[in-house]
Amino acid sequence: MNTTDLRRAAFHPATVAAGAVVVAVLVGLVLAALAGAAPGTAVAALTEGMVGTPYAIGKSLNAAAVLMLVAAGFVLAYRAGLVNVGGEGQLCAGGIAAAAVGTTLPDGTPTAVALPAVVLAATTAGFAWAGIAAALRAWRGTSEIITTLLLNFVALAVLSLTVHEPSLLRQPVTSSETLPQSAPLVAGAHLPSLGLSRSPATIAILVAVAAVVAVGVLFRATPTGLRLTALGHAPEAAARLGVPVARTRFLALSSAGGFSGAAGGLLVATAPFVLAEGFSSGFGFSGLVVGLLARGSMTALGAVALLLGFLVSGGINLQLVAGVPATAVSIVESLIILLIAGSAWWAATRRAAARPAPAAETSAPELIGATR
Amino acid sequence: MTALLDLTGLGKRYGTVDALHDVGMTVAAGTVHCVLGENGAGKSTLCNLVGGGIRPSTGEMTLRGTAYSPGSPADALSRGVAMVHQHFSLVPTMTVRENLLLSGRGLRPDVQTLRARLDRIADEFGLRVDDARARVAELPVGARQKVEIVKALLPDPDLVLLDEPTAVLDGAEIDALIGTCQAVAASGRAVVLVTHKLGEVSRVADTATVLRDGTVAGSGRLSEVSVGQLLSLMLGRDTDAAGGPTVLDPVAAAGVGLAARRPIRDRVEVGPTAMTARGLTVTRPDGNRVLDGAGLDLRAGEITGIAGVEGNGQTELVRVLSGALRPDAGEVHIGDHPITTAPPARRTALGLGVVPEDRHHEAMVGDMSIAENLYLADLGRFRRHGFLRRGALDQAAAGVIREFAVRAPGPRTPMRALSGGNQQKVVLARELAVDGLKVLVAAQPTRGLDVGAVGQVLTRLREAADRGIAVLVVSSEVAELLALCDRILVGYRGRLLGPVDATAPTAAAEIGALMAGTTA
Repeated sequence: MNTTDLRRAAFHPATVAAGAVVVAVLVGLVLAALAGAAPGTAVAALTEGMVGTPYAIGKSLNAAAVLMLVAAGFVLAYRAGLVNVGGEGQLCAGGIAAAAVGTTLPDGTPTAVALPAVVLAATTAGFAWAGIAAALRAWRGTSEIITTLLLNFVALAVLSLTVHEPSLLRQPVTSSETLPQSAPLVAGAHLPSLGLSRSPATIAILVAVAAVVAVGVLFRATPTGLRLTALGHAPEAAARLGVPVARTRFLALSSAGGFSGAAGGLLVATAPFVLAEGFSSGFGFSGLVVGLLARGSMTALGAVALLLGFLVSGGINLQLVAGVPATAVSIVESLIILLIAGSAWWAATRRAAARPAPAAETSAPELIGATR
Repeated sequence: MTALLDLTGLGKRYGTVDALHDVGMTVAAGTVHCVLGENGAGKSTLCNLVGGGIRPSTGEMTLRGTAYSPGSPADALSRGVAMVHQHFSLVPTMTVRENLLLSGRGLRPDVQTLRARLDRIADEFGLRVDDARARVAELPVGARQKVEIVKALLPDPDLVLLDEPTAVLDGAEIDALIGTCQAVAASGRAVVLVTHKLGEVSRVADTATVLRDGTVAGSGRLSEVSVGQLLSLMLGRDTDAAGGPTVLDPVAAAGVGLAARRPIRDRVEVGPTAMTARGLTVTRPDGNRVLDGAGLDLRAGEITGIAGVEGNGQTELVRVLSGALRPDAGEVHIGDHPITTAPPARRTALGLGVVPEDRHHEAMVGDMSIAENLYLADLGRFRRHGFLRRGALDQAAAGVIREFAVRAPGPRTPMRALSGGNQQKVVLARELAVDGLKVLVAAQPTRGLDVGAVGQVLTRLREAADRGIAVLVVSSEVAELLALCDRILVGYRGRLLGPVDATAPTAAAEIGALMAGTTA
């Protein structure tokens, strides 16, 4: 390996992400020490929570699966030049649809029917929810960053209404202690376990990896991927070359919603198999972060999703065992993001310095007459 | 004459590529020094080295006898070296005055000093800013260029670098620019003018340095070197130095603004009308009617040119024809098919090829490869079981790269990495390959291209017409249109005037009159 290869490896998104995590965890340990936990105890508690028990690993994998799905959708839209900030809302829409289908199906429905039905419903719901913003963007030019973001709050409110309202999805109220959540999904709609002993890991991780690989292949090896990329880079040239700009934009952003919706469905189909307020736990936003940090590399996307997934469950244990506030883990998470973003910026400026100054170009004006 | 700027052994490497090596050049105070060369010869790199935009890998620069190694453009400016970039660096949403104040120091913009300084510049160089309160975005290109030069002169530099300043200017504006260059040189300063248009060089330069493939191919005082010799130095082949420019290929000569018109196409048989436009009207959101009932007929086998000062609706006309802009009124037909509101894909299917004016935004995707750019509209050919056959794609592209002599390492090279001329060859190759091509619309197809590429592009357009394709060429280079076209329309205030028969001996005069609006 010569120096150029070494440097390339050092700047690979996955390497950068790993480096950022190491630095951030070191800072986290200092914070833990300030909170009164000896570094040894903190490290032990964190690793225990991350990889210490089959249970911890399983939890982490399930979280990583959700992050991967949301991130894969984010990347899909991002390549076409669209920023989907609505993962959280699409996740909720997917969860609601999954619960609606999963609790209505008759009890004895076999898994082969029930599970696909639930996931399909969730995907469709996410697609449709994102489709609102996508249609506004494609045919009316409304900024999708604003609309997808705002639709999150609408979806969260709809979720709250759904689980509080008995005529909707709230489980039958039998006492004052009945929680505002849906009834459990029928057994057939439960996501099968990965089959590891004493591990809650489900096949969600397999679904997510398949989705990530599919998106990777789409962009690397299919005409559709090329058209999406062209649209993202130069919308006017793409229009000139026959890409139906508006329709492609609509489909790309809606599909991103489909991925998030599917993630919501998988969440509901995982123990405890109910839809409740806060079931999305911010995965929609974390997934966006994963997608951004991966910077186009699907390998990095998988790695970052796994890291964040493990960190989240490690953080819970850190609080339980070492008494360090879980916010310390949030700080570590934010530090990872800052460090990766910073290194990306640093690499970009170094590259720019090593190249002749690119010619200043005016940005592409909005497309006129490309609405079809 | 004293040497103001002296370069010895200057070189710049990017990775394994030598963009520039062993360049030596001396610029004397009080002169206009032209740097000539084809695109990709290293002109802009040289300019950026002197202007402080990039640092040299090897070699030395001295300014007034002392070592000079600017770390940034601001550093260069403080040493008295100002640069005007090829692409404008004004803020379009701000007024002229605000733009000029931007380069000032301190918290409070000093309007008084600026005004005094502008008066000085107007007196000394005849460069007057007409309306300092106009927004830059509303100014025509020529006026923007003037502001750009005024901005460079504000800090009173000793050396002014102009990188391809004439690429976007029309004849009168070029004359004004040449006058300014001479005035600046006459004041004891020096001007370095980077260009590939020999016609200008012969009018303005005192000395010239010719770059080829990143190194100096030759240099000399204009009083000692003929323009024909400069051209052969530039192209690296003997263009008949003895005979001078008169025996040059007229198309190539027109490309560098040299030779007089000469009909190069025998009267070809003109076929049926392939494309018509009637009563096209486009009103911009600000109420400016940029197209006002423009109409034209394009006939098979004929090359129609559209001349005109920029901003007379030519840009919008091409956008309407290509499907990027929907007209408020009027109709466009290809053959019998109405396509006024048809999407670009439908137009392509009917046999319309377009070489758009704005290459970087409309014609290509810079971050994608040559192969992808060539076949983006035709990917179905390379699909098997839903997957793209990269091998076949690259192979087809490699064939085109050879056929069109595109200078590129391979089909996977990103378009962004190519020079303007080579990018344009790729775009043209793609549009000429449209299935069942009937009409080819080319907007400013040679803008910013080097001599060799200009010749090639124009030859391809000629060949297309010989094949029976209706060709429309929009250009601000009248010499080029006269050399290429059969008949020429003139864009004036949103309408198309003419046609002028390009072979008529009075064609140039007629076009000039129409452009100025003194007839019709």
